Amino acid sequence: MKRRVLLACVSLLSGLASAPLLAAPSVGQTAPDFSLSDTQGKTVRLSDYRGSHVVLEWVNPGCPYVRKHYNSANMQGTQKEATAQGVVWLAINSTENASGDYLAPEQMDRWMQTQKASATRTLMDEDGTVGKAYGARTTPHMYIVDPKGRLIYAGGIDSVPSSRIDDIKTAVNYVKQGVREALAGQPLAAATTRPYGCSIKYKS
Amino acid sequence: MIRPSPTLRLFAALALFACGLFPLMACAQLGSSPSAVVTTEQVRAELLAHAPDGAGPGRTVWVGLQIRHKPEWHTYWKNAGDSGLPTQLQWTLPAGVSAGEIQWPLPEKIRIGTLANYGYEGTVLLPVQLTIGPEFKPGLLSDSIDVQLDAAWLVCKTECIPEEGRFALKIPARSSTAGHGAAFDAAWRSAPTDLATGGGTLKVDGQTLALSVPGLPTAWQGRKLSFFPETPEVIETAADWQQAWEGANWTARIPLSSQRSSSPTVMPVVLALDGLVGQRITLPVSGSWPQGSAAAPESTALRDALGARPGTGADAFGAPAASIGFWAALLGALIGGLILNLMPCVLPVLAIKVLGFARHAEDRRAHRINGLAYTAGVLLSFMALGLLMLSLRSAGESLGWGFQLQNPAVVAILALLFTLIGLNLAGVFHFSQMVPSSLAGFQPRHPVVDAFFTGVLAVAIASPCTAPFMGASLGLAVALPPQQALAVFAMLGLGLALPYLAASFIPAVARALPRPGQWMDTLKKFMAFPMFATVAWLVWVLGQQSGIDGAGALLVLLVAVAFVAWALALAGRARLVAGGVSLALLLSLGWSLGPAVTTPAPMTQRTGDGLWQAWAPGKVEQILATGQPVFVDFTAAWCVTCQYNKQTTLSDPMVLADITERKVALLRADWTRRDPAITAALQQLGRNGVPVYVLYQAGRTPLVMSEILSVKDVRAALARL
Repeated sequence: MKRRVLLACVSLLSGLASAPLLAAPSVGQTAPDFSLSDTQGKTVRLSDYRGSHVVLEWVNPGCPYVRKHYNSANMQGTQKEATAQGVVWLAINSTENASGDYLAPEQMDRWMQTQKASATRTLMDEDGTVGKAYGARTTPHMYIVDPKGRLIYAGGIDSVPSSRIDDIKTAVNYVKQGVREALAGQPLAAATTRPYGCSIKYKS
Repeated sequence: MIRPSPTLRLFAALALFACGLFPLMACAQLGSSPSAVVTTEQVRAELLAHAPDGAGPGRTVWVGLQIRHKPEWHTYWKNAGDSGLPTQLQWTLPAGVSAGEIQWPLPEKIRIGTLANYGYEGTVLLPVQLTIGPEFKPGLLSDSIDVQLDAAWLVCKTECIPEEGRFALKIPARSSTAGHGAAFDAAWRSAPTDLATGGGTLKVDGQTLALSVPGLPTAWQGRKLSFFPETPEVIETAADWQQAWEGANWTARIPLSSQRSSSPTVMPVVLALDGLVGQRITLPVSGSWPQGSAAAPESTALRDALGARPGTGADAFGAPAASIGFWAALLGALIGGLILNLMPCVLPVLAIKVLGFARHAEDRRAHRINGLAYTAGVLLSFMALGLLMLSLRSAGESLGWGFQLQNPAVVAILALLFTLIGLNLAGVFHFSQMVPSSLAGFQPRHPVVDAFFTGVLAVAIASPCTAPFMGASLGLAVALPPQQALAVFAMLGLGLALPYLAASFIPAVARALPRPGQWMDTLKKFMAFPMFATVAWLVWVLGQQSGIDGAGALLVLLVAVAFVAWALALAGRARLVAGGVSLALLLSLGWSLGPAVTTPAPMTQRTGDGLWQAWAPGKVEQILATGQPVFVDFTAAWCVTCQYNKQTTLSDPMVLADITERKVALLRADWTRRDPAITAALQQLGRNGVPVYVLYQAGRTPLVMSEILSVKDVRAALARL
């Protein structure tokens, strides 16, 4: 009986989180807190990192746009630059487990390792609740949360929406730029930009 | 053995000319080389070309990427929506050739889970117009345009695959490429057209966009519409939104994206019914964008809107508002041409030609040859005039039928010509006296040539008139491929030539005429007066263009020409002296006064007269927004039909009373001089010449009325308001 009530509560909550896309926070609003398992099975909360800047990266290794930024080491470079300055980096995979792109936690963990990624944690969000709560649409889709838990950036990894690695050279990396500005205590020059990539394979 | 008559030779030449203009469509189907196609697991992409008139300088050439998707796969529109990327085309073209923007066909909203995209499934063709400038020189060996395309598209089902392809195609410069006409036709038909009436508002209301759009097609009222914003990253693409009809006004409330990265000042949007037909409207944004998002750099939307389709030249594919079929245009042109015969300046010339039958009533063969030569003269000059207009238009000039009279020099030359004809009819001189004696016997001995030039003359003097049925035909003609457009012009010529041609073939006409006698000379002299009346009118037209000084200068020149004509008709020594003096006088006056005739007078601020206000771009929409209906008179001083309607129907007390009673705003668009804004407005109405009378009312399609405006029609239209 107790178990059933708990289940009902959980499904109600997840229903609330997934239903209205409009609930996605705007830049300046509080970033929704969440609790997810990482690829090693440990539970991670966003609020654990209150006091630090947090970058959220939506990731799906099956997506050519994600591969563009990993094969070119652009994403890893951005991760390294941010984490070296004390920024927390959470990579989140919201691909549903029925999708062909789905990777089980161990596989996802291995992929991140072979890519020499410098994410602090890689989180599994098969239900898509966190992705939907943030209004994440594409892989990659990037967010920055400030030490007070407010959303200060939502958008793309950079300014040239293409799948060509060559374009990275000429693009403005909005995340590097945003982290730099945030750490210097400046307002972000580009606080919302256009995310580009594959649509996230959410559970329907 | 019969020697070929001059007429036969003339027709042989005509046939050659026509063949040159109408190359066989079938002879130039373009073989698709393998490099024009790229096939992947998800799509088959092919670079297509459409150049029905070849691809020389000034021609309209279309190219496009056709993408056939495997089932369930799709590519994206210019605004891809929540994810995805628009297909990108990068052209490599020879010098002098440049590519325009993609004319995106209407997309569909494709839902993927909780996200939504705008894109295409099945088969789509993305057309792009090529502009071929005079710098383009096809090589001697390779007589074609080499088109190279690097295309990048993102094709998605739920998974996405970015794909690229390199395509190459040769478009023959001098022959027709039309094998994919149907595919291009379909793509143009499905491209949204710009909403003719304009107007409409878009207000940022908290986290919502509030739209209000008047002037949508009446057939749409009460129906559910689809909405596609061209600016990405503004609305919540997948969210539910509301729409409603308030009378003829369509309104909608659309939630803004909470992570909006674009804050445009204008938004081009597309509204569509059943995903079949789309209307594109550029709406200025009022209200302020909610805080939280930093102002994003200017989106392409503003640039698009500022360069908003000029509605001329390059936009020739934009379907005119009131278009008619090709065959209807041909029929309209024929009837219009027939009616041209009754116009005041043409009638005298024709009457005299027909009277010529009375002189040799029995020589039927001569009559027929005359009739044919006259017809050839009319047809060739109409087609030459049409060709000139079409080539000027494709070179980027915005002009329409009657354009020749927008030039003061042409008006002045016509006035001189009509004065000479008038003096000739009045008996002041004969043309044989005007020319050197070696040619003096030319005219009577070559009646065929004479008839041919009478045809040319008839076209010259008929050109200021637009007859009923002609307007719609010419409006369509300029949007047609050149061969078809020329066919419309030829049909117009045939209509003009037909009465005389018929008279020359039917012996009864010649027999019905009274016996030749003194009456013929009297009639001929009488006919000088309509000619002089035409001159008076032309002087008035010139006065509108070049001011009172220009008109005065022209009158002086006319006197000088009359002096020359009189002097050369003298005999012996007097002819030599007076002729020399008068010619010298004419030349020196022409030299000194010519510039005064052709220099346009400064544009006087036309405040309109009485009830009428001057038309200006956007004015109709402004007035409609206040709820008042608007009647627009597109007119020109050189347009006889316009002046007739202005003096009769539009001055009718009953009509004026109705107008006052129903509070209709009256606007007059004066096309006496060249005015690209008016040319564009005419094109939107599917017309290319004046007169055009339009009654606008908010929420209704504009009502375009007949060129011969009757009191009854206008009052009936007003009664329906």
